[in-house]
Amino acid sequence: MRNDLATLINGATAMGSATIALIFVRYWFRSRDSLFAAFALAFGIFAASRVAASLLAADDHAVWAYALRCAAFGVILVAILAKNRAT
Amino acid sequence: MTATLVYLGCAITSVACAVLLVRGWRRSRAHLLLWCSLGFTGLAVNNLLLFTDKVLVPDIDISMYRAVSGLAAVIIMLGGLVWDAE
Repeated sequence: MRNDLATLINGATAMGSATIALIFVRYWFRSRDSLFAAFALAFGIFAASRVAASLLAADDHAVWAYALRCAAFGVILVAILAKNRAT
Repeated sequence: MTATLVYLGCAITSVACAVLLVRGWRRSRAHLLLWCSLGFTGLAVNNLLLFTDKVLVPDIDISMYRAVSGLAAVIIMLGGLVWDAE
């Protein structure tokens, strides 16, 4: 029951992340600001990594799903720093 | 060892993103930055809990707290983006 609830919550989080990615894609289409593209990419990766982590929960390979998440945060970090430098 | 570095990397990068976004919001007071900084603060909490769960207290199951914190962060950010959508 507890595992089912955690899976449900992670699924909802993945769906929310994918929706946020789509919103940032829309922002990028309107403004062509690369920061929005980076956020869209990162949240797409967040969604995918949450699904992967849930599916691989009992597997040693689950750490690679988290490595993907770390890379996504790195993408955002670089994009923010680049934007701050440009402005 | 690799896993520990990955979880630590998640925690550090997520906290760094949250700090930069909060600083950006404090400078500009833009609504978009407000929702992003709130969301990323929640994601930073989520990743700090991930590191705690997997490395510091592996014998204690705090996965539910991790899941809820991640969902809360996404809901706050999504709600704010939708609310302020033009």
